[in-house]
Amino acid sequence: MSAPPASRRALLRRGGIIAVVEPRKGAREDDVDIHVCLTAEGRVFAFSGHVDLGTGIRTALAQMVAEELDFPFAAVEMALGDTAETPDQGPTIASETIQVTSRAMRIAATQIRAALLARAASALQCDVAALTLAAGVLSSASGDAVDLSALLANERILLPLAPEAEFKPVERHSLIGTAVPRVDIPAKVEGGFVYVHDVRVPGMLHGRVVRPPYSGLDGGDFVGRSLISVDRLSVADVPGVRAVVVEGDFVGVVAEREEQAAEAALKLKAQWRDFRPPDLSDVAQAIRAHPATPRVLLEKGDVERALGRLETRLDRTYVWPYQMHGSIGPSCAVADFRADGLTVWTGSQNPHRLLKDLALLTGLAPERIEIIRHEAAGCYGRNGADDVAADAALLSKAVGAPVRVQLTREQEHLWEPKGAAQLMEIKGGLGVGATLKAYDFHTWYPSNDAPTLALLLTGRLPNTPSALKMGDRTALPAYDYENMRLTAYDMAPIVRASWMRGVSAMPNVFAHESYIDELAHEAGVDPVEFRLAHIDDERAADLVRATAERAGWTPRTAPRGEGEILRGRGFAQARYVHGNWPGVGAAWSAWVADVAVNRATGEVTVSRVVVGQDTGMMVNPAGVAHQIHGNVLQSTSRVLREEVTFSETTAVASRDWGGYPVLTFPELPAIDVLLVDRQSEPPLGAGESASVPSAAAIANAVFDATGVRFREMPLTPERVLAGLAGAPLAKPAKRETPKTRWRGLGAALAGAASFAAVSFAIAPAMAPIARPDPATWSAATIEHGRQLAALGACATCHTAKDGVAYAGGLALETPFGVVTTTNITPDVETGIGAWSYPAFARAMRDGLHRDGRHLYPAFPYPSFAKTSDADLQALYAFLMAQPAVRQRNVASRLTFPFNLRPLMAGWNLLFNRQRDIAPDPARSAEWNRGRYLVDGLGHCGACHTPRNLLGAERAGAYLAGGVAEGWEAPALTGASLGPIPWSEAEFYRYLKTGASQYHGAASGPMAPVVAELRALPDVDIRAMAAYLASFSPKPPDAEARAAEIEQRTSRAANPATSPIARLYEGGCAACHETGRAAPLFNAGPALGLSSKVSAATPANFVNLLIEGAQHGIGSMPSFAAALDDGQIVDLARYVRARFAPEQPPWRDIETAAANARRR
Amino acid sequence: MFLLVCSHTNEAGTRGLSRAPLICGGLAVREAKRWALRVNGADRAVQGEPHVPLLHFLRNDLALNSPKFGCGLGQCGACTVLIDGVAARACAVPVRLAEGRDIVTLEGLAAAGPDPLQVAFVRAQAAQCGYCIAGMIMTAKAFLAVRPDPSEAEVREALRYNLCRCGTHVEIVRAVLLAAEIARADAAAS
Ligand code: FES
Ligand code: FES
Repeated sequence: MSAPPASRRALLRRGGIIAVVEPRKGAREDDVDIHVCLTAEGRVFAFSGHVDLGTGIRTALAQMVAEELDFPFAAVEMALGDTAETPDQGPTIASETIQVTSRAMRIAATQIRAALLARAASALQCDVAALTLAAGVLSSASGDAVDLSALLANERILLPLAPEAEFKPVERHSLIGTAVPRVDIPAKVEGGFVYVHDVRVPGMLHGRVVRPPYSGLDGGDFVGRSLISVDRLSVADVPGVRAVVVEGDFVGVVAEREEQAAEAALKLKAQWRDFRPPDLSDVAQAIRAHPATPRVLLEKGDVERALGRLETRLDRTYVWPYQMHGSIGPSCAVADFRADGLTVWTGSQNPHRLLKDLALLTGLAPERIEIIRHEAAGCYGRNGADDVAADAALLSKAVGAPVRVQLTREQEHLWEPKGAAQLMEIKGGLGVGATLKAYDFHTWYPSNDAPTLALLLTGRLPNTPSALKMGDRTALPAYDYENMRLTAYDMAPIVRASWMRGVSAMPNVFAHESYIDELAHEAGVDPVEFRLAHIDDERAADLVRATAERAGWTPRTAPRGEGEILRGRGFAQARYVHGNWPGVGAAWSAWVADVAVNRATGEVTVSRVVVGQDTGMMVNPAGVAHQIHGNVLQSTSRVLREEVTFSETTAVASRDWGGYPVLTFPELPAIDVLLVDRQSEPPLGAGESASVPSAAAIANAVFDATGVRFREMPLTPERVLAGLAGAPLAKPAKRETPKTRWRGLGAALAGAASFAAVSFAIAPAMAPIARPDPATWSAATIEHGRQLAALGACATCHTAKDGVAYAGGLALETPFGVVTTTNITPDVETGIGAWSYPAFARAMRDGLHRDGRHLYPAFPYPSFAKTSDADLQALYAFLMAQPAVRQRNVASRLTFPFNLRPLMAGWNLLFNRQRDIAPDPARSAEWNRGRYLVDGLGHCGACHTPRNLLGAERAGAYLAGGVAEGWEAPALTGASLGPIPWSEAEFYRYLKTGASQYHGAASGPMAPVVAELRALPDVDIRAMAAYLASFSPKPPDAEARAAEIEQRTSRAANPATSPIARLYEGGCAACHETGRAAPLFNAGPALGLSSKVSAATPANFVNLLIEGAQHGIGSMPSFAAALDDGQIVDLARYVRARFAPEQPPWRDIETAAANARRR
Repeated sequence: MFLLVCSHTNEAGTRGLSRAPLICGGLAVREAKRWALRVNGADRAVQGEPHVPLLHFLRNDLALNSPKFGCGLGQCGACTVLIDGVAARACAVPVRLAEGRDIVTLEGLAAAGPDPLQVAFVRAQAAQCGYCIAGMIMTAKAFLAVRPDPSEAEVREALRYNLCRCGTHVEIVRAVLLAAEIARADAAAS
């Protein structure tokens, strides 16, 4: 793309231009819109209120202008969508840009051409016919070029837009009809393209919104009125936060950096009123139960009478699910609210309407708002683009600085206006002699234009949604039914919905074109032949014939239905009609689809699609073919698998690409495109037409293959399998997404007495000392102490969340109550600054406070007791050398009888007996060193050895698996449940890097332990590995065993034939699937080998999903926002069954999920 | 409307960033620190906490726009870059793991003239909205490095977890196969 286009306003101020203009809507009388403008320098500027949604209209429009003007393509520069620059031509919907909107531009180009020639003729005093204009060069009869700048001089020639014009005849086209490469692609492929996501303005802050819990609902008395309170202190600890903005149910945060805004949005605690989501477990039922206004579109003949006289009566119901636009980039916008007005950078498909919305939202006069339009991720209809622009405006207004708002994937999924579900009923059948006697068609479309969310959340617009008359697209079938009645039922949305590619036509045609197939079958006639016999439009008939021929259609009258893999072929065709009823026809499209149906799994594969399309004049045939490819793939995805799911507590439940999976590369059908040559006809919209016949073509092919008729989308394996078995698909059991349950923590602590209240000193206090001078110790000693502190992971426990290292304050949940760790910095008053070395050593070995109180064995002194004097000295030195932090200790709250500290004396007698570790002479020095580290300061057994009822490590169960902070600490011995026993090499790798290829990665409380171990010398890690491995059986050929497990648990061996399998495939497999050709830097552990999956309880698996992980060499994002508890439970069950089939199913996953959310 | 402006921003307006250490989740020591990154052959320093995804630094601090935020969950591939020549989903790679490694984004691919993939994607017109395309090219780049002469089925498999919603798949597969051809021809010629 060349230099940025001069602006409309600048052009209108300068001389040396000739432009075609029109009065500007809603502006001062003398203000005009420009359609096309030619400057004296030979630059051509064309302005359209429509925008490029990634479909290539920027290129196609420029082709049209250059063609009519006879200027080179490269001379034309387009301005699209900016509100201050372009005319308001309505939203970029319905594939109207080329068919309807471009007309003004094309007329303007012919006007400029004519005016230019006339002007030259009068200047040269010759006849216009004697002049030529080609490729931007104007020449006289003698062949001399006429100088454009002289011709236009300094004049400003403004011509009013003519209502009509004669366009160049097709024979003379040199640009229209050619595959001009798209102007936007080089920058998109080189990385220089600036999407709205890439807009940065000086002083820009980052915002995130926090949406209400009624996800995806925009009607009902709770909308805009559900927020009870926002706890701003919940984000007080997040750095960089500038503001928490609340108005009605609109909540947002602004921070200096994007990650800060993201963190604050996640952490912000808000309390919301309860609400009742609609019951969408049965979409057809939900639509029937929703108020609707019938609108008879057409009545021909006497349908009632004809219905009564049919030879074969066929009444059918077809159901379309809710679907998502699913833009690959969640919506984003930047807003700059200043004293003098508002500028918004947006990817909206409808900038002029957005401007009005923003005026209503901010109270600014429309002329003080400017909208600058950038491309965004493809939207295919109305997605979250306008919502986020309004969000950004509110946040910018609140902080008085430019704010960029990026929606999360989850927010886009939950809140984008959905492509509406639809219900179609047909009463009709065949008359005598297989005639089309009666057709009584009813279609219910619960959708409107999805008012911009912030207007609803702030109460600017009422929460009583209206209906939009848009359910009637292609409501008219293509066949000549003698008696016909068409009724559209206009209804307000049930969940937030708006137009999506092929709006209402795709479902309507699913019904029409399935039904005609059913009739053909009843009549015993080949479906293509049957269609041709009844089609009432010659262009459509031509297309049907051409497409069938191209596909090599062979007539047949009965389904095939043989073999394990059933193969079939289906036909469907339609013309997409847009605009208000009866509407305007866009391109005709016809499909022949080949499918294969796996009888055992129910999987449907679309192997080939032949699409014929009659687009009238094609401006850019390559662009049209490209659009057809896109439509075929997207609609195949919609037909085979796409369906928004709902839960009883949050309405929309699909929140990520696992919950809403789309077609992937390996599933692509082969596509053969037939473009009908009709260049002398007017151009027709091509952006949606090829989607429209998809569902019926595929369903008809499945019927051909199986003999079973599917009248509800999508064709998921489970639906197909149920259909093959002769049963309708059972409605999913109503799934309650458990709300986070707050376990009875209060009750558990009811009898707890506090630390301070019970404080019997039964051992003598040791005298306080002045804080020792760290200079007492050599740097080497302190360094050694640092390593030992790392081995003991002192900081891990003795540091509070967001606190200062070693200052204590972390609450540890133990089965015996909550123990809060203490300050071990050398502060004299609140830390251990007044502790002498003997007092320190006594604490480490005997579990006694300096003042003589007993410490609880959450502090693993029975392990530390085994540490040598020299090591304890060094540790003491290190701690004393740390900065002193004044921070008071918080009382621990233990349950009876553990709250009675003196009892700990008895406990010690029982359990803290084995003090020194005498080296085992039968073992190597390395092994003995490992034992010293593992059992001493390393205190591995504190977590990995199960504890008895009194909280002591159980005898005879050494390292056989315990618990820590709600996580399972798996067995490190032969008791390990993992499919591959631990080896020395894997222990070493794990301790060194935080991950083992045969066991998975460290997470939860183990992650910081591994991080701390980095301070340890390598020999010590090796020693620990050697020691630990001595408790495991000798591993088999681990590599072969791992390969075998990976094979058995692979995708190939486990087809995704259930929603939950697809949740895994779309949500987890990208990182965790094994056997990829090229390595992936962020590949996750193979789940078949992960200790979390083979563990006895689901705790670790679930905790990891919720919390995510940061461990040595890897990390995993948190899925807390992407999965609801119901999905987590399903996923845990699925993963367990697939990846650890030899283990029993997990129990109590719900509780594990609730616990994990609570932490 | 009520507005709560947090009051504890320090004079420099960089509360927390300058103050180390921070503790995250009571578990890991979390510190806002400087990270020395090597991006597209140049040494770049950024500042932030260790767990923050590399993607944020590339986009917001280094103004490298090609890696795109698509999901933040490692699911879509829009954010793919190369780290030491291997495909990496920058939304799922914390900056601490990228330090000291060789990071290449789409912008850096053309260091010595346009990459065969870039030539091929233009020739095959393999973009509609193009939001997924940087991720496609970077994933393909890493893939062709190990499979210079792939079959169509292998290309499709390699891109299995890169999502495109516009349905540009046909052109993308064509482009990757074409790029492999161009690269092989280039190699043969030199
Ligand atoms: S944004 Fe990184 S994989 Fe989707
Ligand atoms: S080109 Fe738009 S998502 Fe791939």
